[in-house]
Order: sequence, then C-alpha cells, then structure tokens
Amino acid sequence: MGLAARFLENTGISTVVLTPTHDFHRSVGIPRSAAIEYPYGRPLGAVDDQEGQRQVLLAALSMFETARQPGEIRHLPFAWPEEPKATHWHPPEMSPLIKLYLDDIKRAAKKKKQ
Amino acid sequence: MAQSGKTVNGFRFLPPGLTAWIQTLIPDEFAGDIPWKRLTKPLGESTVALVTSAGISLKSDPPFDMEREKQEPTWGDPTFRAIPRETTSPDIDVNHLHINTSYILKDINVMLPLARMVELEQEGMIGRLAPTAFSFYGFQWESTDFIDQAIAPMAETMKAEAVDAALLTPA
Repeated sequence: MGLAARFLENTGISTVVLTPTHDFHRSVGIPRSAAIEYPYGRPLGAVDDQEGQRQVLLAALSMFETARQPGEIRHLPFAWPEEPKATHWHPPEMSPLIKLYLDDIKRAAKKKKQ
Repeated sequence: MAQSGKTVNGFRFLPPGLTAWIQTLIPDEFAGDIPWKRLTKPLGESTVALVTSAGISLKSDPPFDMEREKQEPTWGDPTFRAIPRETTSPDIDVNHLHINTSYILKDINVMLPLARMVELEQEGMIGRLAPTAFSFYGFQWESTDFIDQAIAPMAETMKAEAVDAALLTPA
C-alpha cells in the first residue's frame, strides 16, 4: 500500500495510509501513516460499530490537515477489546506464501528465542 | 477504548514466529525521498477517495484471482476493481488469502468505510466523497506490476473525479 500512496502523491493526490503494521514504512517510505492496533482486515473497527468506526476514521482523516513532514507516523489511541487470539483474523487456510516460507519462518522464530 | 500516549505495536496480532520472520525483511530505517503533496484546501472542501487492498469486488465483476496464487505463491493478482460509493455489503465479494474475509462481507465499513464517509460528507467534515472507491489486491510480494495495472488507472479516474485526497486502508 505504501507504493500506491507514493504513486498517488506524485500525481498530486494527498494520502493517508491507515495501517495495522506501520513498520512497513521503513521498507518503502510512506508519506503519512495512521497506525492502528487493530486486527488485520478490520482497520476501522468492529462489525456494525458505527461510532467506533467514525472515531478511527476522523482520527485518520485529521492527518491530511495536521501532518507536518513526509514519513510522519501518528499512533492512534484506540485499543482493540479482545486478545489477539480471540480476534480470528487469520484466513481459514494457511496462505500459500506462509506455506512456501514455513521453514524460514521457523528458523527466524528459533533464532529470536536464542 | 482510547489510550492517550499509546505506541502502536504493529505486530501485536501476529504469531511470534511470523513476527520474527517479517522483521528480518524490514530495514531499520527508510533511506530515501518520500513524496509529499500537501492538501491545498480544508478537508471540509476537499474531495476524498477511498482505496483498499483487501480484494473487494462487486458481485457483478470478476473476482480477484486466488487460484493462480495458490499455484504460484509469490504471485498476487495485479488488477483493481472500481467500487461505487453507494456500494453496501450485500453487493460485494471479497477474496484474500491472507486474512479472514468474513468480517468485511458482514460490514464493508470495517475495511472500506463508505457509509461513514457519506455521514461525514453530510456533516460537512469532508467536502465530498468521490463517486468511485477502489480495491486492489495487497499481496504483491516482490512484483510491482500492480502499479501500472491498478494504481495508475485508479489515479486517472481520481483525477477525472477531482480527487484531492485519498485514504488508503491495507488489509
């Protein structure tokens, strides 16, 4: 999504990326990131939580007028009410990429534990 | 619930092994120029478009191609779909092999907040929600084909619709 934001900025469209993993900014250089600690696939909030979605949306949109420098990351104050395992954000089947790199993932996990 | 002074943990919802692996792929800092288009008028006078990478398509359009990705795990569909602003959850299909899509199918606004934006338009918080929103497919791994096949044509439509700003919501 960062590359898309960069492309749009270069065509004269201001962007904000509402992102669950703001760390990807370090890979591509995202103009404005609104970082949200919500599960993947629900960056605005829970199903049918209209007021919660509105608050996240307003916070993200505010960056259009208040962000001051390229690469700015704003950490939004919202907290998801469930523990990660209870959010069930994963696909029903392991993704093809994860299957492909499963050995690398296990190695990275082992190395981090050491 | 809001927590002032919160620092977002971008890996909170990932298992530790996957977090460790992804962190090996991300550099410590970004080195390079970052494009920057400042909004030249108040948000309350601006036309705002929505863009998601969640693989949302209208039921009347072809779905994003998941079968090829299953055969070629580093390939992701590089195309895009236009989503008219009046679209609601019963109108859509969602295809994405890296998330649970059931929540978006129940309420499109968790990913592409069209109804919330219309409310903000009615209240004057934004000037106008653009007639067209867009979805592409966020899993692209190392290919940048989607820039030419999805992002460039999306930008052309945005320009034709006088879009000033775009909110992007990755899955």
